[in-house]
This record gives sequence, C-alpha cells and structure tokens, in this order.
Amino acid sequence: MGLLRAGLCPGLTQDVVQLLRGRGIRTVVDLVSADLEEVAQKCGLSYKALVALRRVLLAQFSAFPFNGADLYEELKTSTAILSTGIESLDKLLDAGLYTGEVTEIVGGPGSGKTQVCLCVAANVAHGLQQNVLYIDSSGGLTGSRLLQLLQARTPDEEEQAGALQRIQVVHAFDIFQMLDALQDLRSTVAQQVTNHMTRERDSGKLKPALGRSWSFVPSTRILLDTGEGAGASGSQRTACLIKSPRLPTGFQETVDIGTWGTLKQSPALQGHPT
Amino acid sequence: MVMVYYSERMRIKISQGKRCSRTKSRRIQMQSLQLSSPSGTVDSADFSQQHCGTVPTRETHLNLDIQSLCGALIYTRSSAQTATSFSSPSGPRGQASQSPHRDILEFHGPEGTGKTEMLYHLTARCILPKSEGGLEVEVLFIDTDYHFDMLRLVTVLEHRLSQSCEEVVKRCLGRFFLVYCSSSIQLLLTLYSLEAMFCGHPSLRLLIVDSLSAFYWIDRVNGGESVNLQESTLKKCSQFLEKLVKEYRLVLFATTQSIMRKTSHLREGPSSAFTHPSDAGVDYRPYLCKAWQQVVKHRIFFSKDDSKTSNQFSLVSRHLKSNNLKKHFFIIGESGVEFCSYVS
Repeated sequence: MGLLRAGLCPGLTQDVVQLLRGRGIRTVVDLVSADLEEVAQKCGLSYKALVALRRVLLAQFSAFPFNGADLYEELKTSTAILSTGIESLDKLLDAGLYTGEVTEIVGGPGSGKTQVCLCVAANVAHGLQQNVLYIDSSGGLTGSRLLQLLQARTPDEEEQAGALQRIQVVHAFDIFQMLDALQDLRSTVAQQVTNHMTRERDSGKLKPALGRSWSFVPSTRILLDTGEGAGASGSQRTACLIKSPRLPTGFQETVDIGTWGTLKQSPALQGHPT
Repeated sequence: MVMVYYSERMRIKISQGKRCSRTKSRRIQMQSLQLSSPSGTVDSADFSQQHCGTVPTRETHLNLDIQSLCGALIYTRSSAQTATSFSSPSGPRGQASQSPHRDILEFHGPEGTGKTEMLYHLTARCILPKSEGGLEVEVLFIDTDYHFDMLRLVTVLEHRLSQSCEEVVKRCLGRFFLVYCSSSIQLLLTLYSLEAMFCGHPSLRLLIVDSLSAFYWIDRVNGGESVNLQESTLKKCSQFLEKLVKEYRLVLFATTQSIMRKTSHLREGPSSAFTHPSDAGVDYRPYLCKAWQQVVKHRIFFSKDDSKTSNQFSLVSRHLKSNNLKKHFFIIGESGVEFCSYVS
C-alpha cells in the first residue's frame, strides 16, 4: 500500500498516474491529503474525477467502522472458551483460554511451560475435539509424550489416533518460518505462547523476556515457578496470574506436573457425549 | 467434555449468582466515593476541595465523570463553559468561543497499569443513557493493537445499569463504533474517511485511539535512516487529529505505551522539559514525533503499586501548559475503574 500505480483502483489510468507524479503526488496519502482544486488546475484533470478517485481510494484502503451492537452479537456466538484440562490453571484463566486472545506462560527453565502446552494440546484435541496448531521452536515436543498424555485419558486406540491427527505440528526455528505458519491461519483461534525469563539489568529482578514491546501483546500472563519448599514431590509448580483482563492479579495456584494428563473424574466422563 | 461458549458461560455465572468475591472484599476495604452529581454537570473548580466530605449520592457504581476528569485536568476553565459543551451535544458548530473541550489527552504508562480499563470506564460513562447517569453521546474507538475486549465493555455496562437487560445494553452499544487499524498509513487514511462520519453524527463527541504508539517500531524500520521519513505518517496523523478535534469539537484520548526504558542521564539535561521534580517516580521518555508532543494538552501517567498487599493503581495527570500535577488512586473491580476517596 502506498504508491499510486495504474490499475490500483478504477479510474486510475497510467496517464493520470503520470500527470500526478509530475506534480509530486506519488502515494495514496499524497493524493488524499492534497487540495484537489489546486491539483485539478495544475494537472489539467477534472475536479470531479479527482474527487471520485479520492473517494474510491479511501473506501479501498481505510478501515471500516463496526457498530458496537453488531460486533457484540457476533462475538457472543463465536467466542469460545477452551478448557486447558488442568483444573487449577482453569481457575486462574477464568474457565480457560478465550478465543481471540493471546495467553502467555512465562517461566524459568524446567518450570513446566512445555508440559503445559502439551497438556493443553492433548485436552483440546481429545476432550474438545478441536484442531490444534502446535508451533515448536524449542524442540520440546515429542510425539511419545503426547501419546502418553492421551493414553492416560482414554484406552481406546482409535480415539488416541484421532486426537493425534487433529494436532498439526510445525517446527519453526526462525521468526520467518513462524510467521509463515501463522499467515495461513484463518479461523478464530485462541493463542497460547510460552516465554522465557531474564534478569533486569539494574535490579536483578526476574522478568519475562522479549522486552516491553512484546509485553503489551498478550492479554493474560501466567508465571510458572518451581515452588520453594516443594517438599516431597519435585513435580510441584506454582502458577501465578500476573496479568489478566478479567480477574484480579496476584493469585496463585499449585499445579502438579506429575499428575497432568490424568483426568480426575475419568469414570464419570467415559460415558459423556461430546 | 463440551466446549463452552462465552454466552453460555455468562448465563451460568449469572444463574449461579457468582460475583468475584475477591473484588468485593477489596472494595469494602477501599471506600470508593461517588464523585459525580446526578445531573451530570460538575463544577470544575478545585477538584480536591469539591469532593472532600461529599456523601455518596447514588447506590450505583458510577464514579468519575468525564467532566470532572476533564475538570480536574483543566484548571483554567470556568464551570459555565464546562456545563455547555457536554450537556448540549447538538449545539451550533463553528462558534469560536465555546467548548473548551477540544481536548487532547494522552494516557501513558507501562503495560498492566489500567489504561485500557480507564478507556472502558470513560466509554461506558459516555454511552450509558442519561437516566442511568451516562452522557448519551457516541464514541468512536480506534484500536491499533487489537486489544479491545467487547465482552469486558459489556460486563462493565451490565454492572452499571440498574436493570441490565439485553435491550438496554444493545442500545448503549449502538452508540459505540469500533475501527481496527493495522498500520500507520491505514490509520491516516481511516481518519480521512472518518471525517464524513463526524459530519453525519453530531452526537459523536469522544474519539479514542488505543494505542498511538503501536506502529512505532514498524515505522522506524520503514523510514530507513531518515528520522523525518520515519515520523512522517505519525506527524500527519497528529496534525489531522488536531484538525478533527478542533473542527468537530471532540475530546481525544490517546494511549501510548512506555516502551522505552528510563535512562538516568536524561535527568541531568538542562533542556529537560519532561523531568519535573515530582516526576521522580514517573518513567517517561518521549519517543513519538514532535508534532504529537505539541498537540497533546494533558499527559496522564499510569502506574501500579507493585507491592503484593495492595492492588491499587494510580494516575498522575499533568496539564502541559500550566504544569499542574494531580494524583488520583483507583482500583479495578468487576464494574470497571473505581476511584478511591483520597486525592493527594
């Protein structure tokens, strides 16, 4: 978007482009912000034609306003909440991952970020019967671990296979591959990302990596930490909500990585229709 | 297991009578004071004097009025002028003297400090009907970072209405317009095409841009080496926004994110117009183009109290010409922003 060229919109022929260029009007912005009477005089073009051209360009390149009531109607029916399959995490997220939002999981090494992702993927693919796009840039995804999680949910091999088929894995080891994978995504999705921790330069406090510009993007952020005094089971982690658009922050829940993947209420759910 | 849709979930929540119990207890701790008078017009003279010892007039969650917010920020206006501009949206255009509310305010702060929540609060205040304490004017919200949460706005509205039925909510939302922009050029072209909308909607009084700094890095990359080129589109946006605000008597709220780290050497410079003695705690480093800096009339800094015990947010508003500073505290509950009773 930007430069005026022939065929960009109806009414913009090569001659018109040349004439405008001769007067220093090269881009769409130049034309839209110019004084059209002056341009008409200098370029020898019809004022009416220029006004029509301006209107067409604006209609083509500017964003269209939505009315709040219409938007609300649409959102009510299309926003879904995807449960993560981990009860304590769901409590922090106010029932689960919301479509149309980005949720970030932050933690130091070994805090369980990848385990959370795998568990969520297994739950969404098997429990909710939805498709999952898993973009792996850290190499932490193993098919066998996914299978293990699914086996803990259901002994039925066909169901396991079906769930595995719904998970599409993309390995992206640089940002361009990742952007390529995301380009093709069309439908409404709920996005979950993981992030590492770094130390702040001056105070030495731990903070999420990728800096301030990234920090504005996710609407929800959960910090995973190896619990201090975890005691007997080294698989205890504390999840703390540090940013949320709908719940007060600062609340913590303990999650046990060891038992992830086993549904607590499995007898009741076996017969549950999905 | 069934996938839950949002509408279903809200129905379940309401039928179970669930409100967030945590915010309730916090609200009882902080006594939030009703700061708006029922008629909607507020004397904009010294803000702190005005509400010392004021008794809450209504049971509802309505707090700070845009007029009192603007009144708190605008120290030179008389109360008469304040009353005319907002209570008569269909007033004659083109009259040179009236409406001091051709105002441009910038919300600045790091993430998670309540800027977008404050915008929901102001939006709700505007679109609610007069009977519920609103201003019944239309709002145009330009979203550049795709952060706008319609469901959150609806929650805020539902909590502030005395009877929250679908009809009333829809009517309120009918006064709200949302535009998404994905680049600074699209933002500029959208502003041009929205001029027609301002002409056709005389009750459209509030313009919100969230956020103006969303394209900062992209513009820098596209502009190459030349700073002028990098800033050119945002400069045109700022100038056009000023023109729109003047011509159509709007109030513009724009948010900018603190994406720059505060550096210590900035304090020592002699020409530092931005370092004020009481700014010591404020992390502000100007990075947007000069044109925008000149156009802004008030800058409001948002910050959050980091200690684990309190969940309080604060904002410091500064009128750039007179250099007056005022500090307010607020918390965020289910019904949105609630100002705290004490003002320093």
